[in-house]
This record gives sequence, structure tokens and C-alpha cells, in this order.
Amino acid sequence: MRGSSLIQIVQVGFKSLRLHKLRSGLTMLGMIIGVWAVIVLVAIGEGASHDAQEAIKALGAQNVIIRSVKPMSDKVQLQGSDMEWETIYGLKNSDASRISKTVPGVIKVLPVLTQRKNITHGKRDVDCQLIGTYPYYPQFTQSKMVAGTFLNEIEEARKENSCVLTLELAEKLFAGHNPLMEKVVIRGFESAQVFRVKGIIQERVEGAKLPQQKDALGRTISANVFIPLSTFKALFGIKNIDRSVGSLSVERVELSEIRVEFGSADEVMEALPLLREALDKTRRGKVDYEIQVPINELNALKAQKARDTRMLMYIACISLLVGGIGIMNIMLATVTERTQEIGVRRAMGATQKDITVQFLIETLILCLLGGSIGVCGGWGFAWVRHHLLHTTTIVTEWSVLAAFGLSVTVGLVFGLYPARRAALLDPIEALRHA
Amino acid sequence: MAKRSIIQIKDLKKVYDLGAFKVQALKGLNFDIEEGSYTAIMGPSGSGKSTLLNILGCLDRPSNGAYILGDDDVAHMDDKELSGVRGSRIGFIFQSYNLIQQLNVVENIHVPLFYQGKDISDHYDHCVKLAEKVGLADRLDHRPMQLSGGQQQRVAVARSLVNEPLMLLADEPTGNLDSTTEQEILDILDELHGEGRTLVIVTHDDAVAERAERVIHLKDGLVDQDIRKGAAKAVAN
Ligand SMILES: Nc1ncnc2c1ncn2[C@@H]1O[C@H](COP(=O)(O)OP(=O)(O)OP(=O)(O)O)[C@@H](O)[C@H]1O
Ligand SMILES: [Mg+2]
Repeated sequence: MRGSSLIQIVQVGFKSLRLHKLRSGLTMLGMIIGVWAVIVLVAIGEGASHDAQEAIKALGAQNVIIRSVKPMSDKVQLQGSDMEWETIYGLKNSDASRISKTVPGVIKVLPVLTQRKNITHGKRDVDCQLIGTYPYYPQFTQSKMVAGTFLNEIEEARKENSCVLTLELAEKLFAGHNPLMEKVVIRGFESAQVFRVKGIIQERVEGAKLPQQKDALGRTISANVFIPLSTFKALFGIKNIDRSVGSLSVERVELSEIRVEFGSADEVMEALPLLREALDKTRRGKVDYEIQVPINELNALKAQKARDTRMLMYIACISLLVGGIGIMNIMLATVTERTQEIGVRRAMGATQKDITVQFLIETLILCLLGGSIGVCGGWGFAWVRHHLLHTTTIVTEWSVLAAFGLSVTVGLVFGLYPARRAALLDPIEALRHA
Repeated sequence: MAKRSIIQIKDLKKVYDLGAFKVQALKGLNFDIEEGSYTAIMGPSGSGKSTLLNILGCLDRPSNGAYILGDDDVAHMDDKELSGVRGSRIGFIFQSYNLIQQLNVVENIHVPLFYQGKDISDHYDHCVKLAEKVGLADRLDHRPMQLSGGQQQRVAVARSLVNEPLMLLADEPTGNLDSTTEQEILDILDELHGEGRTLVIVTHDDAVAERAERVIHLKDGLVDQDIRKGAAKAVAN
């Protein structure tokens, strides 16, 4: 093909398409919607998956999280008084020390005790999650201090009334005032205690283990209050009281969570059976814990994403196929309509190949133009969703390439038949065509 | 004295096979056409004039017989070769002008060159010159829709000349025009003939035939009469 004449064929193609603007536009619409959908759907999926992956990664690929779970059977144990029920279950301090001693590859073990409480400062009061834990919680969970410092060993040893608030909670409770060294009251079912605020923390994963709260802007709130584990046990105990349906139900849970850090993700996989063994040793078949393995979840998520992506590609192919059939339909009509022009061109020396190329290029222009508009539209939509609606949306290069590649392929495949039909017309009959 | 023959036809036959029966459109024609001559082909409807012209124009192949165009036997060429011959050696003028609607005057004139691989940018002046020659200097960027029938046919004449063809073929070139416009087109054709071009024109119109040097009358697919009034004209020239 001569380069400059290709340019002219393209120019003629544009002229022909411009002759029927509405028709060309409608024809492209199928392609536009198909490509737009591919890019937008992939971007939405990618964004959601990105968020989920980040959340899991924040838990740590080399970490394992063991949580206390209320067992299904053997649920309630009657003790003493008539209306009081008590359940004792869950992880114990002894579990934590056994894990760190017997399971290979363990670097650190972090015990966490959590109860639902209420925190007040002056007239403001907020429901919160009271968390008793060790001083190395921030490093362990990749959380960062915004102000002040986290709890330290001395406070742990002396069972001091120091607390650290999450940023969102501090904003709610202090509304612009500096919370550091201020006093707050933490109120449980039985007791109320005064604490001094010594730091503000921002957690990397919020709400991963808590019921999520949202603020007016729709952001997740992590209303967490951290105090030394020793203080927690001394002041609030491990008894968690829940009033429901007239009766009192008391739960005794020594530790809500044990987080275990390994040297690497591979060691996690190797150590899992031994970890279960260490936990089951004292439980006599009672299932009152669950193990969350972020690396497994991450892998499952990735596999799921691969499946979703494949599904999207099928849908994309089908929608582009439909668009392609629309284009073929229009091109066939165009060939019929322009039969005389084809005859004239043949009389003026056009070969069958010249005619084929001309119509193929017109189809390609439709597809590429439609594809480009679709790409821009999809990109724009993703931008608005990401930047203005603050929902993670990631346009991937491959989806743009795939959408473009598919629309070109569709153009070639569905353009070929009408183009061949035009080329194979008998020049004399074509010329006679009114 | 005798000029070179650019067309030689021997026992030319065309049969349309319609399955149930066959139509013998041309039943064995023999004649030559010399370079620079002006020939009119006449005859009643259905006598085979258009069929003959299509074969002469390499749009169709004869069923039988020989057709030598210039030095080439074109009777047995394939579609691609015939396209090349049409594009480089024949200029067509049709009854219904047959311009391309989406192109302007200059672009329409350029079309045959385009299929010879020649860029419009390199031949723009040439195309414009031809437009001027047929009196359309002020209409260069008009579309066919914006032109009268006579003007469109002028564009078609200019287009037929752009590739410096061996001969011009016209099928009823004035069939759609009023008599004044017809005269204008015929004057242009005369002028071209004067420049030494070879013209073959199919017509029903005696006024057209009058201007030709030679009239071939067809009847039922055969040459009925072949009248040369060339001597007188040649002397006149
Ligand atoms: N494609 C075709 N298939 C079958 N028969 C055909 C075909 N083309 C022409 N014919 C027949 O060939 C014969 C000659 O037709 P042609 O078109 O050459 O006549 P013509 O002299 O040009 O007539 P007119 O003056 O009406 O244009 C006619 O009998 C016609 O029916
Ligand atoms: Mg005819």
C-alpha cells in the first residue's frame, strides 16, 4: 500500500461517513458503549480489589490473627443466681505464651482485649471500642502516631490510666481542642474510670475487626481507645456484660485476639498446623477461636479477581460482537447505497483490492473513532468516580489496550464481508445501479 | 497516410447465459478504429451498442473473438489487469455523469490518477487545468450536487482526460441534457478530436452522429453499416 494514498483513502472515508453523520454516530454508539463498559467495569473491579488487597496487606502478609469466637454448642453455663448466665470461652494468656514458645518461626505475639464501652469528655460522649494491648501495637499493625506517644512499658507495668485515641475519635470528642493530657471518662457497665490522653493514633486498617461507623462524609470511623492491657484487666476485668431480653448474660473472655507475626509469608503456611495444635491442646474439642490468615485471603482475592476479569472479558467480547454486527449491518447498507460509486471507481481503474481496502478502512474508522470515544468516556467516568466521588477506580492499561484491540479486530472481521461484497460487484451492473 | 489502429476487433461475440436460454448480444463483429478518429456507434435499442462499448472499455470480456487495444490482447486479461487498462488507457463518459458525490470537482477529476497511485498534491495543477479547459475554473471546490447536469458532464469529460487515455468512450453522453447544453458538450468533444484524441461515442442522436467522421450502425448484434465520411472532413481539416 502506498503511504500517501492510504491517507487519501482515510480522508475519503471520513468524507463518506460525514455524508451521513447521524447514521455514522449511531453505528459508532455500539462500539462506544462496548469499549466504555470494558474500561469502566475493569476500573471499578480493579479499584474494589485494590482496596480489599490493601486492607488485607495492612493486616500483614506475614501475620496470623486468632480471634475468640463464642462456641456454637455448649453455649451457656449456669452459675449461681437465677437470672445470670455466664459463658467462658476464647483465647487465654496461656495460649499466647504457648504459641510463642512452641510454634516455630514466630517473631512476636500481640495479645488484644476488646470490649464495647462509652467514652466522655465534658458533655460529649461517644461509643467506642476499648482495646487493651501491649506497647508494640503500632509497629505490629503498621499504625502511625499523629500526636503524642503510644503506651509504654512503664504504664503497662504500673497499670496506669493512660489512653491513646484514634484520630477520628479525638476529633469527635474534642472538636478542635488539643486532646493531649486531657482527661476522659471511660464508662463500662459496672464502673467508670478517668484516663489521661497521651497520644493520637491513625490505624492503617480501620474497622477490619470492628463494626464500622461512618461520619457525615461517609468515611469510616475507628472509634478505638487504647489502654495498657494490665490496666484493662485491673479496672474493667475480663467480664463483659450484655443485657438482652430481660436476662443478664455475662461473658468471660480473657483475650479477644492474639496476633502472631512470623518471619515471612512462607513460614506462616508451614506453621499453621502447629499453631492449631498448640491452640487445640487445652480445648478438648471446643471450637472457640478462628484463625484469619491474610496471605490466604489475599491469594483467594487474587484468584477471585482473575475469575471476575475473565468474566468481564466475556461480557466485553459479547457487547463488542453486538456492536460489530451493527456495524456490519450498516456497512452492508452503505455498500448497496453506494453501488454506483463502486461501479464508477471500478471504471476509473480501481481494482477489487482497492475497493476492499476502501470499505475496510471506513469500517475501521468507525470502530477506532467509536473505540477512542469509548476510551475517553470510560477514562472520564473513572476519573470522576475516583477523584470526585472518592471511590477507588483504577483504569488499567491492559483494559484500554484490550478494548482498542477488540474494536479494531471487530472492525476488520465485520468490515471484511461488506467490503468484499462491494469489491466483487460486477462493474457494469454497479454502474447501471440507479 | 493510414493511421495506426488502436482498436482491432475480430469476430467479437458476446453471449449472455441466462440459464434457461442464451442471449447473443454480439454475433461476430470485425472492425478497426484508428488513432485520432471520431466514431459514432448507432443502432436500435437492444442492438448491442452498450455491450460493445463495455467490452471496448474493458469493463467486460468478450465470449469469443479477439480484441487488441494498442498492442495488447485484452480479451483474456484477468480482472486486475483489466482494471489497470481501464485506469490508464481509457477515459469514460457516462450518460448519467457518474461523479462521486462526496468529492469536489478537482477531486473527482483526480480519481483515475488516484488508482494509478498518483497523489492529488502532485497533480493538482493538472486537474485544475482540465477543469479550466471544460470551463469550470470557478467551481473547483463545488460538489456534484451543486452543479447543473451540463456542468457535471463537463467534470466527467475532464475526468476522462486526466490519465491521458488512448481513447475516450462515451455512452449517450448527451442523453440527459437539453439541446443547448448538448451543443456545448459536443463542441468540447469536437475540440478534443481536434487535438488528436480518439473518440468512440454511442448515440441515438443524429446531431451527435453528424459530428463524427465515421458511423457504425449495429443491428441485432452485427455491423449493419459502416459509413466513413472521413475524406471530406480530413480535407477540411
Ligand atoms: N447483463 C445482461 N444479461 C443478459 N442480457 C443482456 C445483458 N446486458 C445486455 N443484454 C442483452 O443484450 C442485448 C444488447 O443489449 P445492449 O444493452 O447492448 O443494447 P443497446 O444497443 O445498448 O440498447 P439501448 O439503445 O437500449 O441502450 C439486449 O438484447 C439485452 O437484453
Ligand atoms: Mg445501451
